[in-house]
Amino acid sequence: MSGGAELGFTEHLFKVLVIGDHKVGKTSFVKRYVKNQFYEELKTTIGVDFSMKVIDWDSHTRVRLQLWDIAGQERLRGLNRVFFKRSSGALVVYDMTNGSTLDGALNWKHELDSQVMLKNGRPIPAVLLANKCDETKVCRRNASLLEKLCQEKGFIGWFQTSAKENINVDEAAKFLVKHILQNNEESVKEEEQNMQINLKQQSKSNSTCC
Amino acid sequence: MWVSPTPPQKKKKKKKSHQVGIEQAVLHRQQSLPHRPVIPLVARMADQNTSGTPAMSEREASRLDKFRQVLAGPNTDLEELRKLSWSGIPRQVRPITWKLLSGYLPANAERRESTLQRKRQEYFGFIEQYYDSRNDEHHQDTYRQIHIDIPRTNPLIPLFQQASWQEIFERILFIWAIRHPASGYVQGINDLVTPFFVVYVFEYIEEEVENFNVSSLQEEVLRNIEADSFWCMSKLLDGIQDNYTFAQPGIQRKVKALEELVSRIDETVHCHMQQYEVEYLQFAFRWMNNLLMRELPLRCTIRLWDTYQAEPEGFSHFHLYVCAAFLVRWRKEILEEKDFQGLMILLQNLPTMHWGNEEVSVLLAEAYRLKFAFADAPNHYKR
Repeated sequence: MSGGAELGFTEHLFKVLVIGDHKVGKTSFVKRYVKNQFYEELKTTIGVDFSMKVIDWDSHTRVRLQLWDIAGQERLRGLNRVFFKRSSGALVVYDMTNGSTLDGALNWKHELDSQVMLKNGRPIPAVLLANKCDETKVCRRNASLLEKLCQEKGFIGWFQTSAKENINVDEAAKFLVKHILQNNEESVKEEEQNMQINLKQQSKSNSTCC
Repeated sequence: MWVSPTPPQKKKKKKKSHQVGIEQAVLHRQQSLPHRPVIPLVARMADQNTSGTPAMSEREASRLDKFRQVLAGPNTDLEELRKLSWSGIPRQVRPITWKLLSGYLPANAERRESTLQRKRQEYFGFIEQYYDSRNDEHHQDTYRQIHIDIPRTNPLIPLFQQASWQEIFERILFIWAIRHPASGYVQGINDLVTPFFVVYVFEYIEEEVENFNVSSLQEEVLRNIEADSFWCMSKLLDGIQDNYTFAQPGIQRKVKALEELVSRIDETVHCHMQQYEVEYLQFAFRWMNNLLMRELPLRCTIRLWDTYQAEPEGFSHFHLYVCAAFLVRWRKEILEEKDFQGLMILLQNLPTMHWGNEEVSVLLAEAYRLKFAFADAPNHYKR
């Protein structure tokens, strides 16, 4: 997924899923993040909506994010496999003003883990987003519940966000990208190690050959 | 960002050039301003060549005459009506023609009034019987989803934000959903009410609908429009129900068929998309689920449906060829894109906003050609 390093400059391309129940604000989150716009009413997403965000991460790293905003209505379990494959991370969204969508988010996380994983077998990094936080407040009890849920269900963290008021949108995405980049580095290292082992083995067998 | 591939409405009469200018300005504004513009989807929706202009071309007048002749007799010759309708139905006779072609109205003129009365009573009987159950435990999820989706059906058109329209749409969809438990309500079905509703409203108003106030219609009239829209939408959905049952098998099958068809008619385009790992499901799912309504302006959908209702199995089968023609229509733009994201963004935002009858007619002619050329080919996809 990463581009060649030329003069120390690296470009990465990552696929990030945006999933969760219908009407929790997935599309609004993406529109805010990508275009910095908000609409009161958007058309319902059918299938998947695709968009791109380019981030100049630091002076020698550029990240291109493919955002896959997946329709929330549970109808297409079979299709999720097609839409989920080869993703590097996920934003799992629920609506703070509608408690049942938190259960929905956990189901989506479960579905995600059953469909995709990292090369080393670990789940792909996923951030839990408590969206529409402009309409309500997370009380302390909730915060500790979310903390606990994150640990139990394997989220790397949670944020309360508002696409409407532009709260924590960039921060949550940044947090996810940071983890994706870390995973990427680790897997590159692992690959290098594997390659060195292979090379050693090869040179061994070569030497016996000569 | 997108440059229109075809000049907007070249053959339009001179009188209209001012309007085209406005449209281009709107188009331009949409691209440059962050605010969402109000696009004149409805104003020029019904029949752009006649609405708003007093003068009808001779050809149009003679077409309208032919329709009136076919419709005048005591028994309408449906075959003849289909033939005429294939190339578009004049606005003035569209409501009755749609009702006849969908099978909602009988060909026998004498029986029409009583049929309408009976069906309208039947629909409002359903409402009386079922609508109160929308807050019951086993129906509340369905109702809640419909309720949430209605304002998200046509957010660009102010008309559809009026409360009384939204209530009508909610009733139509809820009754349909609980009477069809195998599919229930599926997102996308909400879009399919709009064309019927808009066309049937035109039966009662002369002015442009853009800023039309629903409550100015008589209650009785509004009830009739509601019942007629319900029944005609039901007829449409009967033919494509497996699009909306669990796992949407109809759509999955049609997307596969589309892929196979395109690989046969334009290998270059097909291979180009394969090369960049674009899967048909990623963009064509919506084309099937919403019958291209998300890809075309409403006025074009209405024109498209003239033909779908005239064509045997228009919605369930001919649509596939239309989708293939639609994809290949963008071959130049597709081949210019050299990566996955460019292709996906193109395919999900095809620049059809300026499209009108001419573009749809060209599309339909090409679809017809494809159907003719491929329907009987030995290895070709068959239903």
